[in-house]
Amino acid sequence: MTLPGDERLTPAITVLLVEDDAPTLWRLQDALTQAGFAVTAAATLAEARASLARHAPRVLLTDLQLPDGHGSELIRETRLRCPDTEIMVISILGDEESVISAITVGATGYLLKDAFPTDIAATVHELVAGHSPISASIARYIVKRTQAHAEPAPLPVLNTARLTPREIDILWGIAKGFSYAEIAGHLGLSKQTVPGHIKSIYRKLEVHTRGEAVFEAVQQGLIKL
Amino acid sequence: VTEAAEKPLRFARHPWRPQTLKLGLIPYLALQALIAVLFVLLLRQPQPEPPASFLLTAFDLREAGTERAVTLPHFTASRFAMADPPQFTTRFNRADDPLRAQSVFLPRFSNGVEIAINGVAILDSRRDPAANRPDRNTPEIAVIPASLLRDGENVLTIRLFVWGPLTGYLDRVYLGPDDLLRPAYDKRMLRFITLPIVFSAWQAILAVILTIMWVMRRHEPAYGVLAAAMALGAVQALLPTPMGPTAFSRLNAILIASAPFEGALFLTFAVLFFGWKWPRYGFLIFAPGLLLAIVGLFAGQSMVRSAFVLVGVPTVGLCLLAMSVVVAHAVLKRQDMVSLILGCAATIVLTCWISDLLAVLHVIDNGRIFVSRLSYSALLVAIGAGLTWRFARALNEVDSFASNMVTLVREAEDKLRISFAREEARAREAALAVERTRLMRDLHDGLGGQLVSIVALSERGNASPPIGEAARAALKDLRLVIDSMDDIGGDLMLALGSWRERAAAQLRSHDIALEWRTLTAQGLPVHPELRPWHVIQIVRLLDEALTNAIKHSGAQRVTVTIAMLSDATDGDTGCITIADDGSGFALPPDGAAASATAARGLRNMKSRAARCGATLELVSDAGGTRVKLVLPRRFPDGDTAAG
Repeated sequence: MTLPGDERLTPAITVLLVEDDAPTLWRLQDALTQAGFAVTAAATLAEARASLARHAPRVLLTDLQLPDGHGSELIRETRLRCPDTEIMVISILGDEESVISAITVGATGYLLKDAFPTDIAATVHELVAGHSPISASIARYIVKRTQAHAEPAPLPVLNTARLTPREIDILWGIAKGFSYAEIAGHLGLSKQTVPGHIKSIYRKLEVHTRGEAVFEAVQQGLIKL
Repeated sequence: VTEAAEKPLRFARHPWRPQTLKLGLIPYLALQALIAVLFVLLLRQPQPEPPASFLLTAFDLREAGTERAVTLPHFTASRFAMADPPQFTTRFNRADDPLRAQSVFLPRFSNGVEIAINGVAILDSRRDPAANRPDRNTPEIAVIPASLLRDGENVLTIRLFVWGPLTGYLDRVYLGPDDLLRPAYDKRMLRFITLPIVFSAWQAILAVILTIMWVMRRHEPAYGVLAAAMALGAVQALLPTPMGPTAFSRLNAILIASAPFEGALFLTFAVLFFGWKWPRYGFLIFAPGLLLAIVGLFAGQSMVRSAFVLVGVPTVGLCLLAMSVVVAHAVLKRQDMVSLILGCAATIVLTCWISDLLAVLHVIDNGRIFVSRLSYSALLVAIGAGLTWRFARALNEVDSFASNMVTLVREAEDKLRISFAREEARAREAALAVERTRLMRDLHDGLGGQLVSIVALSERGNASPPIGEAARAALKDLRLVIDSMDDIGGDLMLALGSWRERAAAQLRSHDIALEWRTLTAQGLPVHPELRPWHVIQIVRLLDEALTNAIKHSGAQRVTVTIAMLSDATDGDTGCITIADDGSGFALPPDGAAASATAARGLRNMKSRAARCGATLELVSDAGGTRVKLVLPRRFPDGDTAAG
């Protein structure tokens, strides 16, 4: 979890941080700035959009409950306009409802608001390095959805139909707390391929348009026409 | 959808299904040939006869004005001799014992006889309706009244009446004691008179049964046709053959057309029964019968009799042949017992028909014993057997269908019950999930946000670190409670997976490494009875152990080991071990106070373990502390060991 030494020599990684709670914004901003990231802060959806219009950040960290709208709108727009931007949700509890709905619009994992500064920096670094962190509870939530029962209405729609059996196995391993190395060992994979699988899982869970979301839901029988 | 596809297969696999015969054409023909040969041998068996010592064969025949000596059996030349019948005369001596009744026994003649002793007629067979049927082989016996017999030589005169369609025939005559002649006569009567009546009765019953079947099952016309054939046969057999010109004689004459009609109906039955397509000119097989009936109506008896020989007999043969072909084809195609029995019966009747034809044509001499009508009963037996077979099979089918339905209904009920239970569990689960989501949203928006703000503010430097720490602990606890409410399907590993992340973050902030070792791929046994409160107890216990390691041991590394303890008798139990490389409880850095805290923590952990039915083992020495939690085989339902 140590930072690479040469990180400071290269141009700083740009981070757009969208958070309406001021103390939280400060602590996240502090943690990231100290780790060498170039942080742009925004407290509202409008500010974030203005910032995005000026400059596409490398990383977008956004809260979901914003004073002038929902963070998932911002995530969707960013996915469309800046496909290279890595997106993470800032969550208080890491609860599935908010995180999964963010994943379906294109976010990759979440950051807890009370995470320790070093962990915050490390998570963003990993994200930039191409790793897609996935928490045990999110993995558990996804694999439970693959077990083929109709989900109760208030939970977000999640399309697990395209996941391969191998990807589901990996999710099970993560949900049960196994490390990547252990999962790779059990499944007969090389350890390096596991992050790639997880990235693929994130991409498969993403629903690109509203129409597609409806289509997927119909396909899975979640919506009856 | 898949189940519906499976069902017919299940029916098809039932053991009561008749096994296929796997009979080829050659084996079938060989079997029929064997049956024919057997029947020919059977027909060659001599008919019952009295002792040969009573035979009378040398007669004087006076025919058409001329007189000559003949030896019986004798065939007359003409086919009609009613006005001036051939007269056979012989002489015999009276027996020694006058008290013993003497009889004349005529085993076979056609068409009628009048027996006279010394010029006094004692028997005229024309009064016996059965005897007037040329196809019945009726024998006649007459007791000679003792008063007619003279001492010494007596004269026996037999007048043979011939009315076609065959030439006259008189078999050898027996004259002797009645008690010696009668057994042969009785046997012949049984064979040629009683048996046909029994068969006719049978035919009548079958006709009724088949008519009922046809009325109830109109879509199977084969039964109707067969019923018609049977009824016609029964009527034909039970009505008397006319001799003189009676009021109904012309109508009666039609009955002679019954044989070709019956043959045609039987053929129709076979064609319909085996599902052949009815040929376009198929009705032509009824033409000969119709022709005979018309001839009978308008032309009189002698004409119809000759027509019968010319038209009726070949038609019957033709129908039998055609039927044999139809049945043989059915046997080869359907390979079932019913067709095979019918085929054998058809062969028997055909064999008898050929035998009779050869006898009429004088090709073979079998004493002019006709067996066609009798063998017709073989066909009846076959049909009776076939129908019984089908009926039993249909009953079996119904039984098996019923039992199958019972099984299917039971299976469906079970499935329904299971799916209902599953549905209920799912609904419960869903309700819990909804509740949890609602709670989570509440906590997220309210309590969670406040706690995060406290953490953030405490880090800004204007609050003391313990406040931040407490807020962080509160957040952690909140996450634990919410996490535990999630349904993990009894797999504690799913709860430990989340705990690992929290533990790792907590240890990382204290620069302590977490080593996580899961010894088996499955991790821990699955406990369906695991409830959220068990999970909370266990995770809090683990948290406590972790906190102890962080606060009191000065450890560099914490190792969590998840293992399964295998037990041959009781199955596997889970075991979670948390070990640190710190200094242990024996050398607490803060002296007695820390020791007291540790002791309280230990008590707490023990009580939590007890509530879940788990056992806790704690070893602490200079090399570190090791907390070993052995999970129960079954988690208790209630909070029994509270306190």
